Amino acid sequence: MIGSDRWEILEKIGAYAASELSAEENREVEQLILEDPEMLRLAESYLRMIALLGAIGDESPEVPEAVINHAIRRAYVSAFLRQAEELFVGIGRTYLDAFVYYLGLRRPENIG
Amino acid sequence: MTFTDHNLAQRAATGDVEAFAQLVREHSELVYRVAMRILGYNDAQDASQEVWIRVWRNIKQFRGDSAFSTWLYKITVNTCLSTRRKEQAREAWELNNELSYLPVPLSYEDDPEDAAVAGERREELLRALERVRAEHRAALILRHMEGLSYAEVAQILDVPNGTAKGWVSRGRAALLVALSEEEKSR
Repeated sequence: MIGSDRWEILEKIGAYAASELSAEENREVEQLILEDPEMLRLAESYLRMIALLGAIGDESPEVPEAVINHAIRRAYVSAFLRQAEELFVGIGRTYLDAFVYYLGLRRPENIG
Repeated sequence: MTFTDHNLAQRAATGDVEAFAQLVREHSELVYRVAMRILGYNDAQDASQEVWIRVWRNIKQFRGDSAFSTWLYKITVNTCLSTRRKEQAREAWELNNELSYLPVPLSYEDDPEDAAVAGERREELLRALERVRAEHRAALILRHMEGLSYAEVAQILDVPNGTAKGWVSRGRAALLVALSEEEKSR
């Protein structure tokens, strides 16, 4: 058996253990497993590994409070800066409009 | 998608920090859990914080075409993968086409459910997982730990279904080989 064949078989047995094969492919792998005890042990190893992955997946880690606080604090700071920027831009624009009006370069838009 | 998530995301997009805070509280476990599994315990906190910064910055781009959790998974996985790419020190487990041997069977004699709670087995698996190539590991985690369908895995990783399936398959095989190596070195 050459190297790339081994990967192919390894992946196929993995797919079998994860119940992801078609009926025909299933029969092929089952035949392989019946003929070769090494393949049977591989399939069993896969089953244990997949069960272990699932069991770890069911665990719920406790999220450090710092993560939540940091995210919310950053959002508040960002929102404040965004509002401050809008405010200053607004004030600046108003002053500019007033100045332009003062110089008599343009009439304010809200005056008919 | 829950109506609440969609509604909160819409409000957050208008700058409502309280709505964003509620999303953070409800989904922080998902983000931290996935970050911990892709990057390991040490980097999970920084990565999670980075994810939430990106979510706040890009929340206007969430249009509600998919579930909020799918969008969040996507940002989390992308953040973790880009963090991972920056790391030069750790050596990823690259699969070659050549495999000179088949992995030795794992000697877990006990019930797999019991094995899950046995710290040693758990640590071995998490250590072995770190040796699997990052993209394959992410696909494997989404499929076998998060229990997502291949369509969801493909959507999150932004690859075709067949690629997602191939990455999970490669990741599974690489993890078994890495576990077998761990077992041999014991």
